[in-house]
Amino acid sequence: MLSKILETLYTKVFINIIVGDTKSIVYVEVFSKGEVTSSNSEIFKTNVFNADMHTYLKSFISQSPYHYISILDKSINQGAIPTCSETKKYIDTSSVNSICVNKKWTYFTSQSDIKDLKYEYQSVGVDFIFSPFFILSKFFKDKVENTLSIFALVEEKNISLSIFNHGTLLYSEYLHMQNSMLDDNLMMDNILDDDEDEVALDLDSIDLDEIDADEDITSLDDFSDIEDLDNDVDIEEFSEAQEIVKKEDEKEVSVDDLNDDYNKFIMIQDSINNFYHDEKYDSEFVESIFIADSIGVSADLKKYLEEEMFLNVIVRKIALEEELSNMAKAEIL
Amino acid sequence: MRYSYIKPRKKTALSKDMQLLFTFFGVTLIMLFLTYGFLVFRDYRFDQNHTEILQEEKDLQASINMMKLKITSIENQNILSERVFTKNSVLKDSIHNLFDLVPARITLSQAQIMENGLILYGVTPNKDIYNFMLQAPLRSIFHRTYSSFYPLDNGWFRFVSTNYIDEESNDEYK
Repeated sequence: MLSKILETLYTKVFINIIVGDTKSIVYVEVFSKGEVTSSNSEIFKTNVFNADMHTYLKSFISQSPYHYISILDKSINQGAIPTCSETKKYIDTSSVNSICVNKKWTYFTSQSDIKDLKYEYQSVGVDFIFSPFFILSKFFKDKVENTLSIFALVEEKNISLSIFNHGTLLYSEYLHMQNSMLDDNLMMDNILDDDEDEVALDLDSIDLDEIDADEDITSLDDFSDIEDLDNDVDIEEFSEAQEIVKKEDEKEVSVDDLNDDYNKFIMIQDSINNFYHDEKYDSEFVESIFIADSIGVSADLKKYLEEEMFLNVIVRKIALEEELSNMAKAEIL
Repeated sequence: MRYSYIKPRKKTALSKDMQLLFTFFGVTLIMLFLTYGFLVFRDYRFDQNHTEILQEEKDLQASINMMKLKITSIENQNILSERVFTKNSVLKDSIHNLFDLVPARITLSQAQIMENGLILYGVTPNKDIYNFMLQAPLRSIFHRTYSSFYPLDNGWFRFVSTNYIDEESNDEYK
């Protein structure tokens, strides 16, 4: 009772930490009498909790005993499953922490990773660890409940991907971009560039006058079985061809951004292919993807998804740190 | 609904030093209040005992008074009994003296002893015996003596002797 009275007298400080691959964002909201009185944001060029962050956090922690530190879960062992009751089918329940949402689906993370996170932040403490999957479903709440779509929360090097069919989770995967993968793709791009050169050479060698119109007409017969286009293999082949053409158009875009977006596209594509092919999942054909963009993805990713996977792409900006703060407030208030 | 994987740490407005300080003062205050409570309780018990003792004293006083009254009553009864005993002794002696007074030749048939008088009924062989041997001592005792004779068939006399002591003399006697 006394503590409740004291709590109302003090201001509340919500400290939200988003740890990226190369930087960490600390967003602080000071909350008093039902409204945010001030907010501060600081970017630290580190992906671990260091002395600078500690000093910065301490300056806010000392403002009020009622301070809450929230962190977005970065565990690679996290995910979501389409059940609340039969969780043992999908995950080892003894080694994960899970939370059921609306008795329909469950999001989970590794207990040991939570322990590690707590250990890392032991000098200031951690109050909340939120799942990006829940933030994503909350952010696109109306779409999640009313459409069959892919939802992706895109961060610096991570993508939380989930597929919902009118509120029912069909598939989810937490995708993490490895540095080795970046290198691999860079190598692959070089190979592709070589191929492009060859194709270009071939194109140069074609004499248009030598082409017979009748041959063209007969060659159209090859497309008579248009249904074959539905075949995934064909689509992939088609996509590769598209990639080659696209790469030529995007020479002006910086190489890093291009690689990042391309890698993200590849990760999404692989994940969706996995959803379609794995019999474990109740696969349905998905036509649209909603992207919660926390880093400012370039138009390339959207273009890749639209042109190579024929998806309707809707990108909406998300301020993850503010979402995290809102979640913490929802927990406390 | 819970959103976070972990529960928030318990928050308190008091730092650890302040908690220690408040705990110390709290314990001290509790001890003071306990001592105060103990003393109040002892005081209350003392007052209660005092009241009880006063009541007991009052009861005992009442009992003593009652016993004093009883003692007085018993003493009065004792005095009365002694008086009665004395009176009875006197009466016994009087009767004894009375019978000693009656000569052997006179036979008493009835005697009525009253507060201030004596009536004797009896038989005498003749009036002279009566007059000399009985009436003379009676006259020395009583102020007024009256005698009546009734002749019997055998020549003897039935007599009735009425003797009185006057009031004034009786009072003096008393």
